[in-house]
Amino acid sequence: MIYIFFAIWLIIGAAVFIAPSRRIVHLLCGLYMAVHALFAAMITFGGNYLSTSGVFFTFDEAGTLFYLLLGVVATFVLIHSQEYLKDDTLGNYRKYFALLILLTTSITGVYFANNIAVTWILLETTTLCSAGILYHRHSAQTLEATWKYLFVCSTGIAIAYLGILLLCSATSNSSLNYADLEQLIVQGNPLYLKAAFLLILTGYSCKMEIFPLYTIGVDANFAAPAPASALISTGLVNAGFLAIFRIYRLFVHTEVFEWVQHVMLIIGVLSLGVGALFLRRTNNYKRFLSYSTVENMGIVAIGLGVGGIGVWAAVFHVVCHTLIKSSLFLQIAVVRQIYNGYRINRIGDYININKVGAIGLLGGMVVVLAFPPSPLFISELMILKQTIASTGWWLIALIVLMLCVVVYSICFRVIKLCYQPNQDELHLSKINRRLSHSALSLLLAAIVLGLWQPEFLKELITRIVTF
Amino acid sequence: MLLSLIILYVISLVYVAMVERFRSYATIIAFQGWILLGIALLRLHSLNWVELSFVILETLIFKAVIVPAILMRVIKQTKINRINTSGRSQFNSLMLSFAALVASAITTYYVADSSVHMIFFGVALYALLSGLILIVLRSRIFTHMVGFLVIENGVFLFSMAIGVEMPILINAAIMLDILMSVLMLGLFMTKVGSQIHTDSSDSLTHVKD
Repeated sequence: MIYIFFAIWLIIGAAVFIAPSRRIVHLLCGLYMAVHALFAAMITFGGNYLSTSGVFFTFDEAGTLFYLLLGVVATFVLIHSQEYLKDDTLGNYRKYFALLILLTTSITGVYFANNIAVTWILLETTTLCSAGILYHRHSAQTLEATWKYLFVCSTGIAIAYLGILLLCSATSNSSLNYADLEQLIVQGNPLYLKAAFLLILTGYSCKMEIFPLYTIGVDANFAAPAPASALISTGLVNAGFLAIFRIYRLFVHTEVFEWVQHVMLIIGVLSLGVGALFLRRTNNYKRFLSYSTVENMGIVAIGLGVGGIGVWAAVFHVVCHTLIKSSLFLQIAVVRQIYNGYRINRIGDYININKVGAIGLLGGMVVVLAFPPSPLFISELMILKQTIASTGWWLIALIVLMLCVVVYSICFRVIKLCYQPNQDELHLSKINRRLSHSALSLLLAAIVLGLWQPEFLKELITRIVTF
Repeated sequence: MLLSLIILYVISLVYVAMVERFRSYATIIAFQGWILLGIALLRLHSLNWVELSFVILETLIFKAVIVPAILMRVIKQTKINRINTSGRSQFNSLMLSFAALVASAITTYYVADSSVHMIFFGVALYALLSGLILIVLRSRIFTHMVGFLVIENGVFLFSMAIGVEMPILINAAIMLDILMSVLMLGLFMTKVGSQIHTDSSDSLTHVKD
């Protein structure tokens, strides 16, 4: 079944690439999302849930959950992009949408892949699609970002591939299926397993935006048009998370699992530290939001590192972060339309220019900082609780210290945008408050999750983290 | 025979650390392509003919011919011949490369296990380290590209170690090679050269905090 859908999505992508007008592009994008809706319905209500499709794909709990989120984010991104890029030439416009469709399709494949090699190939495909989106503006800066992105991602993915080869070799597994690997991995040489995990984690870190290859995700978000950044910073990051999470699950029953958790903990703390540090330093709102992603993914890695309830909290954190961060990136896209830039030191007075957008950003600030009623409050509290139980107070002190820096930096910068006197030229004719309203709806959805977590969601995450 | 080819491959990696002319880099990459072709023929002869032909075509046409040709064209276009204009000694780079070789040999010795082809693993590890040394030590973007190609070749070599049992891995590695290298070399040749100064990675500093 999935191959038919892949074929349809690719055909739609190709059709967008040669579409004769913007109207046709819009219609094809609508058709693309309608096919996604049909696909989601067939998985959830059509009896395909938990089934395998076409040998290499399985509609498991984790894949389905993140796919549904991707569907929501992609819909918003496509709609916002139409307004954001309305002044572009037709050629650029359709190329952007075609690449966005291909990127969404590749991410879908990553979510459902049940084979380690297929996950890796599709992650590589996301690099190709993202690179095209990054170079959308055709400026020297975007070219530099694209070059760096391609170079670092390719090197990272090659390193991850070495790890996959080592893992498969150590387990003597020829099918490369996660389920088979899970059975065989317990017999593997611990040293090989450790080396394989390190290599894979290093390689995939460029997608999940965690230490050590986090920089490239930040550059990607900076160079891409803001609505596409919303997809890269959530859908693509989730793909990286899921790829690492599936590897993490494989190691649960091995004797090196404790070591794996320590590695995740170290990576998490380093990512949080880097995020906190650069949130203070950067002078660009898009890079600022990207460092917030690094910081949040650091918290997720800490959750995986401490284990226990921390793993549940980590998955929940990723789910909520998807809604919050996409909302913030879409809000910042509206900001860009008004100020024609993202310079933190120069732009301001947003509260008087676009009240709805300012409320969206201030609300987003509260929610991303995990203040109640943010759902991140629940996940971070659970992770901190488990950290105390597993490691001790010294780590908590370190994490809390870094979180204080994060709180200060985010509050300082978002409040600055809303209230400091503006020093840049304004393009008030470009204000589109409907987009601000629409981005706000994603934030409201996240707040609802903070106040009330549906039973099916809790059950689904519990099943995802039951090893 | 297989061992001789692998030793030649290791020598080519040591040589990568010593040279400073771009033409020499392109020649080494081509040489590695031919060695990989030889290893593929010796190692994967039991694959079915379709899969084997795919691997051979990829190593022969792509690794041994097209990639070096593109590198040569870049050299002609940019008119830059050396990694250092001052002609500084490559002593440090060579010492680091030897250290990487020793580290790879020690690691391989300590993790020796029947489940993994140790020589292939050791050489792949050395290739990975050599590529990273090139990328970190050299300031020119061209050398970074060569570093990436060295890593790619190392990974490809290791995939051939287990490729008899797992042909899907070989094909996946080939897909990686073709997709990424073509895109990167294409971008390098058509865009980077004209818009960013290819003579130094110092020019890649506009996207930062």
